[in-house]
Amino acid sequence: MGALGGALIGVVIAIGASAALFSGANWLFDLAVDRWRTFLAASCALVGALVGAVIAGNDVAGGPLWLWAVIGAAVGAAAGLAASLLGTPSKPRRTRLSERGRLVTFLGPSLLFVALGLVIPLLRSIYLSLLDSRAEAWVGLANYGEILTNPNSLDLSGWTEIFTSRLFYAALVLIAVGLGIGMAVGRRRGRAMEALPGSVGPIAIGLFVLSFAVFTTLRGTVINNLWWVVVVTGLSTALGLAAAVLADGVRGESVAKSLIFLPMAISFVGAGIIWRFMYIARPPQKPQTGFLNAIWVWLGSLRPRTTGAWVAVLILALATVLLAGLCAFGVRRRQTAFAIGAAVTAVPLLWLIYRFLGPGLGGSVPGPTGEPIAGTILFLQEAPFNNVWLMVVLIWIQTGFAMVILSAAIKAVPSELIEAARVDGATERQTFWNVIIPTIIPTITVVATTLIVLVMKVYDIVKVMTAGNFGTQVIANEMWQKAFTELNFGLGSALAVVLFLAVVPAMAFNIRRTQRADA
Amino acid sequence: MKKHRTRSTRLRTSRLLAVVLAFGLIVAACASDDDGDDAEEAPAATEAMAEESMDESMDDEAMHDDDMDDSMDDESMDDSMEDDMDDSMDDAMMDLSGTKVTVFGPESSEEEAGAMQDALDVFAAASGIEIVYTGARDFSDQINAQAAGGNPPDIAVFPQPGKVGDFAAEDWILAVPDEVQAAIGAQWPAGSLDTVTFGGTLYGVPNKTDLKSIVWYNTSIFESGGYAIPQSLEELQGLMIQMLGDGVTPWCVGIESGPATGWTFTDWMEDLVLRIHDENIYDQWVAGDVKFADPRILLVAQQVLDIWNTPGMVYASGGSIAATPFGDNGEPLVAGDCAMHRQASFYAAFLPEGTSVGPGQEVDVFYFPALGVKGNRPVLTAGTYVSAFRDAPEVWAVMSYMGSAEYAEARQAAQAARKGGGQSGFLSANLDQDLSVYNDLERSFVEILQTASPARFDGSDLMPAAVGAGTFWTEGTSAVNGDKSIAEAFAAIDASWPQ
Amino acid sequence: MSTTTASKPGPVGGAIERVDRTGKLIYGFLRRIPTWVLWLMVIVWSIPASSLFLNSFRTRDAQRNSGWWESFNEGGWTLANYSEVLGTEQTGGLARALVNSFAIAIPATVIPVAIAAMAAYAFAWIKFRGREWLFIVFVSLLALPNQVALLPLLQLYAGGAHWTIPGTEFTLTLFPDFDLAGSATAVWLTHTAFALPFAVFLLHNYISSLPGELFEAARIDGADHVTIFWRLVVPLSVPALAAFTIFQFLWTWNDYLVAITMIGSNGEAWPATIRIASLAGEFGLREHVLSAGAFVQAGVPLIVFFALQRFFVRGLLAGSVKS
Repeated sequence: MGALGGALIGVVIAIGASAALFSGANWLFDLAVDRWRTFLAASCALVGALVGAVIAGNDVAGGPLWLWAVIGAAVGAAAGLAASLLGTPSKPRRTRLSERGRLVTFLGPSLLFVALGLVIPLLRSIYLSLLDSRAEAWVGLANYGEILTNPNSLDLSGWTEIFTSRLFYAALVLIAVGLGIGMAVGRRRGRAMEALPGSVGPIAIGLFVLSFAVFTTLRGTVINNLWWVVVVTGLSTALGLAAAVLADGVRGESVAKSLIFLPMAISFVGAGIIWRFMYIARPPQKPQTGFLNAIWVWLGSLRPRTTGAWVAVLILALATVLLAGLCAFGVRRRQTAFAIGAAVTAVPLLWLIYRFLGPGLGGSVPGPTGEPIAGTILFLQEAPFNNVWLMVVLIWIQTGFAMVILSAAIKAVPSELIEAARVDGATERQTFWNVIIPTIIPTITVVATTLIVLVMKVYDIVKVMTAGNFGTQVIANEMWQKAFTELNFGLGSALAVVLFLAVVPAMAFNIRRTQRADA
Repeated sequence: MKKHRTRSTRLRTSRLLAVVLAFGLIVAACASDDDGDDAEEAPAATEAMAEESMDESMDDEAMHDDDMDDSMDDESMDDSMEDDMDDSMDDAMMDLSGTKVTVFGPESSEEEAGAMQDALDVFAAASGIEIVYTGARDFSDQINAQAAGGNPPDIAVFPQPGKVGDFAAEDWILAVPDEVQAAIGAQWPAGSLDTVTFGGTLYGVPNKTDLKSIVWYNTSIFESGGYAIPQSLEELQGLMIQMLGDGVTPWCVGIESGPATGWTFTDWMEDLVLRIHDENIYDQWVAGDVKFADPRILLVAQQVLDIWNTPGMVYASGGSIAATPFGDNGEPLVAGDCAMHRQASFYAAFLPEGTSVGPGQEVDVFYFPALGVKGNRPVLTAGTYVSAFRDAPEVWAVMSYMGSAEYAEARQAAQAARKGGGQSGFLSANLDQDLSVYNDLERSFVEILQTASPARFDGSDLMPAAVGAGTFWTEGTSAVNGDKSIAEAFAAIDASWPQ
Repeated sequence: MSTTTASKPGPVGGAIERVDRTGKLIYGFLRRIPTWVLWLMVIVWSIPASSLFLNSFRTRDAQRNSGWWESFNEGGWTLANYSEVLGTEQTGGLARALVNSFAIAIPATVIPVAIAAMAAYAFAWIKFRGREWLFIVFVSLLALPNQVALLPLLQLYAGGAHWTIPGTEFTLTLFPDFDLAGSATAVWLTHTAFALPFAVFLLHNYISSLPGELFEAARIDGADHVTIFWRLVVPLSVPALAAFTIFQFLWTWNDYLVAITMIGSNGEAWPATIRIASLAGEFGLREHVLSAGAFVQAGVPLIVFFALQRFFVRGLLAGSVKS
C-alpha cells in the first residue's frame, strides 16, 4: 500500500503543482496592468529566488539552497520596488506586457518540454551523425553515404521487371478505364473531365495498384518505408472514415466502434502474438493452426471439378446474376455510378468463378506422388509481399485511431448546416459529399499527416514479427539495431536524421495548407 | 470590466497563496521523487543522499572528517568521489549489512528470475546485503541504453562475453579485483576466464554454463528403426541417410527466435567449424582473422545448408526452417515427426509438458559427435558472465558469490524446485560444486562440460555485436531462406565487421 | 462510399406499379447495405483479437496443435495463463506494476492535455509575430523518431546537465541531478515531451475551427484569454480533448520502450507492460502466457475508451454558427 500511496501522491502533487504554477503565473500577469509595483516586486522576487537557487546549486557560495532562494527573493523584491519608483510605463505598454506574459503562460510549458525533450536530442543526433560509430572521430557525411550506397537500403536494379509485372498492366487498365469514364461523362456535360465516383474510383485504385507494382520491383529499406506510408496511411484513413461514417447514428454504434477500436488497446507485444497466430503455417500433413492458412488450404481443397468447387461456382454465379440485375436496374434509373459500382463488384466474382473452373484456387500443390497436397503461404517469409502482411497489422491497429478522430469531427459538424442542406432538398449523398466532407477535410488532413509520420517511424511490428529479415527492414528498426544493439551511434543517428528530413516536407506542406484554408 | 476587477481583488489573497503553494509543491515534488522510489528500502540512506546532493555546497570536507563512517556508502555511489574509493576498499572487511546491490540480467521468466533471486537471497541472508535481481527480456538492448545513459545497475549478467569486451573498451564496467579473481579462478575449468579477459585484465565472473553440443532424440524412433547412437560425425551422416531411406525425417530445425532469429544457424555453423576444422581455425574465425568468405568457412556453411535443404531431411513445424520458431520443435520431436533435434542443454523446458527425458525415456540425449578420424571430443558451450558497474565492497562480495559453488548449488536446487522436478535447465561448470544437487541427466551434462577438450564458447557471442548479434544472424537467415547465396551473405558479414 | 449512393430513391418516372413495388423491395435491401458493410468490417476486425482471447484460455500445447476455431472440439482449456500473469511475484508482482502504470499514464495524459490545449489556443487565437512558423516547427517535431531522444533524456535524468565553462575549472549546472532515472516521474516527463507535437497538432485543428465570433463577443464583454480559454474553449473542445485523452492514455499505458529505457533495472518501478512481457522468459519459452497478459493489459484502456466515448456527441456547437 505504501507504493500505491507514494505513486498516487506523486501524481496528485505533479498535477497540482502544474495547475498552481499556471494560475500563479496568470495572477502575476493580471497584476501588470493595474498594480505595477506589486507586479514588479513579485516578478523580480521570483527571478531573484531562481538566481539564488542557481548560485547555491552551483557551489558558488556555501549555505543551504532554501536560504539562498529566500535571500534572492528578498533582494529581487527590493530591487523591483526600487525600480517601480523610477516610474510606471503607460497603460497600453503595460497591457501589451500583460498580453505577452499571457502568451508565455500559454505557450511556455509546451515549448520548454519540447525544447528539452525533442529539439536538443535532434541537434545532438545531427551532430552525432557526423561522427564515427564510437562518437569520437569526425567523418563528415560518410554515414549518410553509407546509407545511400548500401544495397540493403536502396536497390533499384530490378526496375525493368516492372514491365513483366501483372500488377503494372492491371493498374494501367484501371487508370485508362477511369479516365475513359471521366472523359465520356465530361464530354456529355461539356467539360474535358468529370470527377465522379465512376472515374475517380478506378483511377485511385489504379494508382494504388501501380504503387504496388513499383514497390515490388524496387527493393530496399527506403522503398519499404515508402510502401508502408502509401498503403497504411491510405487504407487506415479510408477505412477509418468508412467506419466513422457508417457507424454514425446506427443502432449499436458504440459496440461497433468499440470493436474496431479494440486493436488499439492491445499492446504491440499482444498484437505480435495475435498476428503470428493468424499467419502461422504448418507442414502440409498437419492441420493448419493459422487462420489465414487454414482458409487458404480449405480453398485449395475445393479443386476444380469436385463437388465443393461446383457449389462455390453456383453460389458465385448466383451472386453475379444478382449484381447484373442491380446493374440493369441502375441503368434504367439513370444511376450511372450505381450501375458501374455493381458492374465493378462483379469483376472479382467472375475472376473467382474462372479460378474455380480452371486453374483452381487456394493452397494446393502437387505432392511427391502427384497427389495434390496442402500448399501454405509463408506470410512473413515470402518477399516482397510479406511487407504487405506486416502492413495489415498496422492497418488493423490504426483504423481505430482514424475512426475515433474522424468520428469526433463528423459529430462536430454543426447540425444547422446539415438541416439547411436538407431543407434545400439535398439528398443524403449530396449532404455527405457537399457538406460533411468539406467540413471535415482539415481533420482528414490531420489524420493522414499523423499517420504518415507514425508509419514512417514504424518499428515495433517489424521488430516483433520478422526482426527486419526477409526483406522487410524499415528505417526506424534499422536505426534501433544500429544505435542500441550495435552501439553504432553515428550510423544510427544518421538514419534518424534521414527519417526526420524525409517526413518534414510533407508535414510542413500539409500544415501550411491547413493554415491557409483557415485564413 | 468593473465586475471583473472586483472579483480578481477578492481572489487576490488566494492567488497569492497559489503561487507560494506552487513553489512549495515543486520542491516537494522533487524531493518526493527521491523518496517515492527508495524510501521503503533505506529511508535513512536516501535522505542522506538527497540532503547531500542538495547541500553539496555545504562542505564536503567537513563531512568527510566528521561523519566518515556514515557517509561512506553514499559517497561511493557518487561518481565524482573517486578519492573515496581507496578508503572504502580498505574497509572491505567491514560489516556489509544494510547495503544494497542491484543485479540486472536477461533471465526473466517467473521460474528463472525467481530461482536467481532465491539463490541470491541465500547470500543476502548470510551477509546482510540486500540483493535485488531484475530480469528483462530485451536485456541486451537495455543494458546498452542504461550504460550509455548513465543509469546502470550495480551488476549485469551478460550472456555474451563479446559484449563484456565492448563494455570494457567503453570503460563502463570495472576490472575484477585480484582477490575476487583468486577466489573464483580456481573453481572453474581452465579457459573459462579467458573469454572475458581483455588486454590481460579480467572483466567478468562466470555465472552459468550451457552445453550446446548435444542432440535430443526420440527414443521410440531409434528403437523401432534399430538405429544406434552415432559415435562419430561419419556415423551420424550414415544414420541420416539410413533414416531418409526408411522414410523417417531425421531432423527438426527452426531458426526463428524473434529479434534474435538466426542464432540456431550460427550454433550449427560453430559446432561444425569446431569438428570439420579445429579449435585454432575456430579461434581465428571468431577473432576475425579467418574471414567468413574464407573457403573453409564457406565449406561448413555449405555443409549445413546441404543437410537442411535435402528433401525429406528436415521437419519444419512452421512451414520452412526460417519460419519455424526454434522453441516449437519440441512437440514434433516427441510426436515422432522427426527423430533428432540439435539444441542446447536448456531445451528440456521446451518439450511438451509431461515429457519424460533421460535414458530409456521418451526423449534422450546424445553428444553431437566429432569426426571419427580425429578422435577428439570438442564441445561448444555458452553461458553468462557477471560484471560490475560500481566499485564497492558489497558489489564485489556479491560478484564473488555469483561465481561460487554455493551459488551454483543454491540456484540449481531453487530452479529444480520451481520447475516442479524434472530438468531445471540450469547448469554450472563450477568444479567445486556438489554434483548431487543435479538430476542424472543434468549431471551427465556437467561432466561433459568439465571434461570437454577442447571446449569453446559460442562464437557468435564472442564476435563484435554488429556481427555476432547482427549480420551473422540476419545474413545467415537470408542464406537459410534462400534469399541470398552463401557467398553473398557471408561477404556481407565480412563487410559489416567493425574495423 | 458508393454504398450510400442508393439510400434515397431518385425520381421515379413512368414505371408500372408492379415494377415499382419490386423497386421498393430492392431499395429496402440496398439501404441496409451500409450497415451490413459496417458489421462485416466489425467482424473482420474482431477475428484476430477473439482468436487471441480463446487461445488465452488454452495450454501451450493446445495453442500450437490446433487452431482456435477448433478449441471447442479439441479442448485444452486452462486458467493457468491468467493465474501466471496475475500471480507473478517478480519485482513486486502485478499489482505493484499496475499501480506504476497508473502513476505513469495519469500524469502523462493529464499534463500534456492541459498544456497542449493551452498551446493550441495560443497558436490559434493569440496573435504574435512568427506564429505560423513556430507552429510548423513545433508540429514538425512529430517527425522526429522518439528513439533518438531516449538516451539524451536518460543522461539528463541520471546526471543532470553540466557545462564546464571553456578555459576555466568552473562547471555550471544547467539542470540539477534530481536522481530521476529509474522512477515513474522520468517516464511521464518523457511522455509529455513526446506527446506535445501531436497533441498541439490535433487540438489546434479543432480549436482553430471554433467560431471566432464567439471569442470576439467575449472579448467585448471584457473577458481575457484565461477566461475565454476556461469558459469557452475548453467546454467546446470536449470531443477533441476526449479523443486525445483516449489515445494518449492508451499509448502511455501500453508503452514499453520509454518506460524500460527510463526505468532500466529498477524493476519495482516497472509498469505492467514490462512486467508482463518479461514473463515470456529469455528464449520466449513461456510466450503463450502473453496471450492472457495482453487482455489483462488491455482492460484499463478499454474502460477509458468506454468512459470517454460519451463525449463524442453531436450538437456541442449548436446555435453558435451564424450561417
